Amino acid sequence: MRHFGWAGWILFVWIFVSIAGQLLPVDINQIHLPSILNAPDWQNWLGYDDLGRPVLGRLLAGSLTSLIVSFTVVTVSVVLGTILGTLSAYQGGMTDLIVVRVIDIFLAFPGILLAIALAGILGPGIDNVVIALSVVGWVGFARLARAQTLSLKHREHVLAAQALGTKKRKIILRHLIPLISAPLLIEATFGIAAVIIAEAGLSFLGLGVQAPDASWGSMIRDGARYMLVAPHLVIVPGLALMVVVLSVNLLGDRLRDVMDVKTNVQKGSH
Amino acid sequence: MLRLLLTRLSSTVIVIFGVISLVFLLIHLVPGDPVDVMLGENAQMADREALREALGLNRPIGQQLITYIGNLLQGDLGQSLHSRTSVSSMILERFPATLQLALVSLLVSCLIAFPLGIVAALNRGKAWDKVAMGVSLLGVSIPNFLLGPMLILLFSLSLGWLPVSGKSGFASMVLPAITLGTALAAVLSRMIRSTLLEVLNEDYIRTARAKGLSYIRVVIFHALPNAMLPIITLLGLQLGVLLGGAVITETVFSWPGIGKLTIDAITKRDYPVVQGCVLLISISYVIVNAFTDIIYGWIDPRIRQGDRS
Amino acid sequence: MLLRPGYILSVFVFLSLTACSDPSSTSIRFALASSPISLDPRYATDAVSSRINRLLYQRLVDFDQKFQVKPALAGWNQLSPKHYRFKLKPVRGYFKNGERLTAYDVKATYDFILENENASPHRSSLLIIDKIIVVDDQIIDFYLKRIDPLFPGYLVIGIVPKNMAADRTTLNRIPAGSGSFSFLEWPDTSRLVLQRKSDKQLVEFIYVHDATVRALKLIRGEVDLLQNDLPRELVQYLGKENNILLKNLPGNNFTYLGFNMEDRLTSQLAIRKAIAHAIDRQSLIRYLMGGKTRLANALLTPEHWAGLKNAKAYSYNPDLSRSMLESLGYTRDKPLLLEYKTSSDPFRVRIATIIQQQLNEVGIKVSLKSFDWGTFYGDIKSGRFQMYSLSWVGIKTPDIFRYVFHSESVPPQGANRGRYINKKADELIEAAETSPDMSARGQYYQDLQEQLLFDLPYIPLWYEEHFVAYRNNISGYSLASDGNYDGLKSVEKLPSP
Repeated sequence: MRHFGWAGWILFVWIFVSIAGQLLPVDINQIHLPSILNAPDWQNWLGYDDLGRPVLGRLLAGSLTSLIVSFTVVTVSVVLGTILGTLSAYQGGMTDLIVVRVIDIFLAFPGILLAIALAGILGPGIDNVVIALSVVGWVGFARLARAQTLSLKHREHVLAAQALGTKKRKIILRHLIPLISAPLLIEATFGIAAVIIAEAGLSFLGLGVQAPDASWGSMIRDGARYMLVAPHLVIVPGLALMVVVLSVNLLGDRLRDVMDVKTNVQKGSH
Repeated sequence: MLRLLLTRLSSTVIVIFGVISLVFLLIHLVPGDPVDVMLGENAQMADREALREALGLNRPIGQQLITYIGNLLQGDLGQSLHSRTSVSSMILERFPATLQLALVSLLVSCLIAFPLGIVAALNRGKAWDKVAMGVSLLGVSIPNFLLGPMLILLFSLSLGWLPVSGKSGFASMVLPAITLGTALAAVLSRMIRSTLLEVLNEDYIRTARAKGLSYIRVVIFHALPNAMLPIITLLGLQLGVLLGGAVITETVFSWPGIGKLTIDAITKRDYPVVQGCVLLISISYVIVNAFTDIIYGWIDPRIRQGDRS
Repeated sequence: MLLRPGYILSVFVFLSLTACSDPSSTSIRFALASSPISLDPRYATDAVSSRINRLLYQRLVDFDQKFQVKPALAGWNQLSPKHYRFKLKPVRGYFKNGERLTAYDVKATYDFILENENASPHRSSLLIIDKIIVVDDQIIDFYLKRIDPLFPGYLVIGIVPKNMAADRTTLNRIPAGSGSFSFLEWPDTSRLVLQRKSDKQLVEFIYVHDATVRALKLIRGEVDLLQNDLPRELVQYLGKENNILLKNLPGNNFTYLGFNMEDRLTSQLAIRKAIAHAIDRQSLIRYLMGGKTRLANALLTPEHWAGLKNAKAYSYNPDLSRSMLESLGYTRDKPLLLEYKTSSDPFRVRIATIIQQQLNEVGIKVSLKSFDWGTFYGDIKSGRFQMYSLSWVGIKTPDIFRYVFHSESVPPQGANRGRYINKKADELIEAAETSPDMSARGQYYQDLQEQLLFDLPYIPLWYEEHFVAYRNNISGYSLASDGNYDGLKSVEKLPSP
């Protein structure tokens, strides 16, 4: 944990606060008209939004939204992508050709364009956001898992296992996946950051969470309307989003550095 | 060379065909009956049948796809359900605005990324490297729907220098271009750094250094020109960041381009327009990528000889 | 080598830039929250189009402060109960082709609307017209199918030139009226340019979707005036700006909560009453609406000649509401579930969210559904709702009551979208329509509105205020109680310092 410094701590706080925040006796949908757009003060740390709801409570609720969506999407994507990627590389032939083409087709949609179109067509709602982002998300993992498997499948221990007549499933699970898990972990870390931004982006466009649920993206969108009179409504969720994404990215960078050391050593050895 | 061109072209054609099919299938993902969603449940029976007929939804799906592609080849993207005008003319009207914004953003990102990447590469592992890469990481971590409002707050409101949004001359392009360019710059600067570092390890650079030329001179006059080729290729690949980001950035700044058209169409459930926009953006991305790839292969003899996997 | 790509790009960008906006523009720029849809007065129904059409076209009659009909382009005599003779005033406008507006243009305009196949949305309000006969250039006779004392009040459609009357596609985009303004250009939805005929002053309507951006553009001088459609906080913010002036005026656009009277739940009077007592309209007005917004108890304002004068308003009484619901068997554990539809306009969603919360407090769980305007309005028109909120804009004559509440006005015949069927209300509407005496007619309409307040097909909310915010080099703009843009006929702009 020492390697990951403050970024690790921030992520720990993020996860803790998201979960613990739900236990607080704050009703995030409680409207209090006289407090509308009140700026932060000592009693109310982050002030109130355009309906007089506490921004702190909504920030925490949005935090949980980010957490749940990002971990769900990345888990689904990693599992799907790894299975497809390793299988297709190991199998080779026609299967591989088809998977590669499908990957190419999905990669042809720049950025989150496909997710936007999917979420837009499936209709707003956080479940559709998870679906849309997973549909787009598996591709990167599949590509990575495939490339890694290709480079590993002629290693001695794999060939040995094949010679011994080990089942395909067992070879993939026991001999391949453990070796490719490190790069997948790094990719998954960056994936978390990307999904947090994507979910917030979809919610910003009105395609994500529906009122009165909270997401950092929808908070930024709503807050931008009162930017002139209550800038804290944009700045608070904006900072939270930025700090968390930055920390996740930093963590990914650190992880990569740590793993890179290993590959450098390997490079040097042959 | 010809072989490379042919394989690249054929795979591009396959990808484009796949993209078209996927976009075509989008309308079948609409929950329930798409005609109901578009017209409302109580619409007149005649209207519903007319729309079903116009969209071809009453025919077998394979036949629909063939018609769709056939129409596409004639430049026909269908008709907007909302304004009843042709989707292709709507897109053509908006395309120049998106192109302008993308090009200016590209310029902005180059202006940010080159200094950052060079400084980082020159000071590898030192404080400046960390600062430059920290800035770049920050750039990746600020989404454009946050950066946009922040820039508006600062430059339009507090300082009053630039217009808030809309498209009225050069000044109105500055903020959206910075918003869009920053995300690209963040990625680009890292690539410039790593490419430069790779080039700096080459023998001829060591030779130049050995001849006693200053490090900065070596980097700018020897390493950078040689690193330009891969960097330009990366730039082509990163066009996706630009095109994808344009959807949100255009919405933030009410920039009348294709991205905003896409979002407007989604809120109006104008699916033919959504399909047209997504198709156009993706296909231009695919084509640009194929071109950079081919040109790169043509220039770089190492690639011309061997086939990449 | 390093600079070349950037250099090429910048040259390209420079070449591709189009005309820049002129910061010291002499034209008067008016910001709009939505763009006009049709500038053909025979088809325009949205508020913005109708208000702009008032500047482009002339009409036969208009209304005074008490909403009594008054002559505009023409005065009239009632020659018999079903025969009106209109005499055009000598001062009349010219069309673009140089021809003066005549009785033939009037006939062409109204004949076009009455033609069924032209599908004008105004046709239903004019079906009472039997035939139109031109006597000479300046005199035109209207014959009615039945007696209707409100009749001249229906003739508010802008007059189009007879030679273009048949050309729908052209008029829709290139209006050609005889009003105080002439049309210059409408290149896209974001910008419409008119010219004042009297002094060649240019007026630009600039469509800016986002409220904050509209306010910022006003502060920065990118527009000169804006009217309405701004949240109260932004109006207060504009009020603190040194170079921005504000004016406001009580309005008469009626905002309400509508119910589906055929729905299993919202058809129950007790439920509607419980909802009426659960909504704190005073607080909503105090914390969200502009300072001159008034509580409403009826569709027409009290100062209207047919308006309800002393209404027994529903008080905010959550306890009463709760006990009413309890007696119907709804409690906190077994709440009443309702669906509430609204447009996706952020301000409307904001109000709806607060109403949702207030209803939640008495034990009604409301699921809020917001849709883009087209979908929402489509749903409402076809009766797909339990509960929704909407406004009636620009209502002048009490024939609105037949259109909205008569049992024969269920869509597509009229706008009785909630399917309110009440024999007594029908009788009052018919009695008012046939009553020859003005004050008796006013009384019938008052009785009707009392009945409506009792039955609650609508829960009346408020009449929103109108306000205008303008830069300090603008003068002479006056607000109208229906929110029209007629102030632009007299507005002046000093050159900016």
